[in-house]
Amino acid sequence: MTSKVLLITGGGGVGKTTLSAALAVTAARNGVRTLVVTIDPARRLATALGLKNLGSEPSPHKNEPNLWAAMLDASASWKAIAHRHAPADVADRLVDNPFFEAATQHFPASQSYASAEEMANYVETRAWDLVVIDTPPSAGGIEFFSAPAEMRDLVGGRLLRWLTGGALPGRRTLFTLTARPALRIAGAALGSDLLERVAEFLMDMRTMYDGLARRAVQIEQHFRDARTVVVTTADPAPLREAARFYRELPDRVPDPDAIVFNRVLPDGWHNPKPPTDGPLIENLVRWGAEAHRQTEVRKEFAALWKTDIATVPWRPKTPTTLDDLAALIAKAKGLNLERLGVVPQ
Amino acid sequence: MLEHRLIIVTGKGGVGRSAVTAALALRAVHLGKRVLTVSMTDQTGLALHLGRERLDYEASEIRPGLHALAVHRPAALNEYLKVQLGVPKVTRMGPLARAFDALASTAPGIREVVTMGKVLWEVRKAAWDLVIADGPPLGQIGSHLRAPQTVTELVPVGKVREQADWMMELLADSSVCGMLLVTLAEELPITETQEALTWLTEHHVISPPQVVANRILPALDASSRQINGAGPGSVQEAALMHTALRAEQQKWLTELPPDLQLPFLFGLLTPPEVAARLADVWGEE
Repeated sequence: MTSKVLLITGGGGVGKTTLSAALAVTAARNGVRTLVVTIDPARRLATALGLKNLGSEPSPHKNEPNLWAAMLDASASWKAIAHRHAPADVADRLVDNPFFEAATQHFPASQSYASAEEMANYVETRAWDLVVIDTPPSAGGIEFFSAPAEMRDLVGGRLLRWLTGGALPGRRTLFTLTARPALRIAGAALGSDLLERVAEFLMDMRTMYDGLARRAVQIEQHFRDARTVVVTTADPAPLREAARFYRELPDRVPDPDAIVFNRVLPDGWHNPKPPTDGPLIENLVRWGAEAHRQTEVRKEFAALWKTDIATVPWRPKTPTTLDDLAALIAKAKGLNLERLGVVPQ
Repeated sequence: MLEHRLIIVTGKGGVGRSAVTAALALRAVHLGKRVLTVSMTDQTGLALHLGRERLDYEASEIRPGLHALAVHRPAALNEYLKVQLGVPKVTRMGPLARAFDALASTAPGIREVVTMGKVLWEVRKAAWDLVIADGPPLGQIGSHLRAPQTVTELVPVGKVREQADWMMELLADSSVCGMLLVTLAEELPITETQEALTWLTEHHVISPPQVVANRILPALDASSRQINGAGPGSVQEAALMHTALRAEQQKWLTELPPDLQLPFLFGLLTPPEVAARLADVWGEE
């Protein structure tokens, strides 16, 4: 059995986590053994999924036979990554180094990479038919796909080369940074052995290179096999993120298998009838204007990028049960669930 | 709030941070202040709400009394090295700047101190009555506000350390720096805002912030009997939708009562129109 992967991406605040859970519940109820890996779910959603603590260990749902859920803990993932790819003594030194935490939070790609490596681990256990990944919000969308290459590059010594002015020192005892004039000035500004400590840290990071480079290639293969859903709302910021999937080069980013507009208002609100006055009519008129705006934005997006669009209705209540989540997908329009692997073909 | 010399605006992604920043800036200009708005991230949200495609590192005039810039990292780093550390230009380019970049990517606090440094430097220059920063998202605000402190722990002496010292003083001065937390009346933004408030209370790096709840729905002036009486159809659907959404919002607002509420804006509005409308609301308060 091989696992299919479903990647749910999009800008912040569009409902990625909720839709990831909703697709996973739908898959489970169609007999697909499904794991959903969420990031920072709302408390009620976490409760609905049976998640109690942060942790990457998947747990089966009490009342839903085919559903497993896990929460990404990027910090714990990075410690595991260090132990997987660096020699044991170096890995211990790395995870205790205060730079390690800063670096794994700073590199724009690092949360995405942690998530991608967990994805690969889950897929390779072959314990599930479908692994649904709620991608990190910091990644916005397409950065998720360049994270492995980005991390390989960083760990491989790009920063270290900059720090040492081109050469990669072979052994830590063999080089003194302050021998270089430019770095002497930096040393004066920083007033300490800080640069040397950074260089030592980066040299420890380099021991992860071979392992991480191999892993990056495997992760990229999983990306090519994955299905991708881009979630957006009709708001400008997430729309810009969604459009990047079409603007970027195709070898960097896969073609999305679905563009989903979330929080969509009903169609029939455009032209309120009867034309009377009163607060209820006024209310329909303003919501009608909002519904009209949404329709226009969707039409424009579809025309500009020549793509089909799926819609998920705006529900006044946040889903708090598995039934609520399943209802969200049941009410969606234009979603090809077979193509996404949510319904068996 | 507008009596400060610097206001840092933050909030969870997607709550309308840039719109609120732009609105606040328009309001301050309306009151006759010379205002600089600064985008602290590389996102284009602030630019769009000011009617621009993008913002440069050099401040440009948006309208009389209002200037804007964006903190692009390489330029900020260069200026930091030149103005704050006094490194001559010849050595700035090339190896040193790249070494510093390597450092900024690895050592805690350095990257943030360069960004915060630019904002605080503009405050210190005193060319503006008020600087309004469209800050990093809520998840990164702690590491930015604490960056000067982090740097002093890392670097015991030297010029970087000296710079960090005045930054900390300026940030902690409640007559100079104020802060706005923008939120929506939904579970995750409210929870994260509460966590941020706790963090800020514990760390004393900046005076207590004000909370702005964005996209709040107005009350519907109709009884449930009237709504039921409307009969099935879009009038009733819209009314039920509105009352349910509003009830949910009001529930979250009791969890965290905001200092100010900004309205949900219905229909087709461009980002500059959104900023202008919100600025008007601010004026009415």
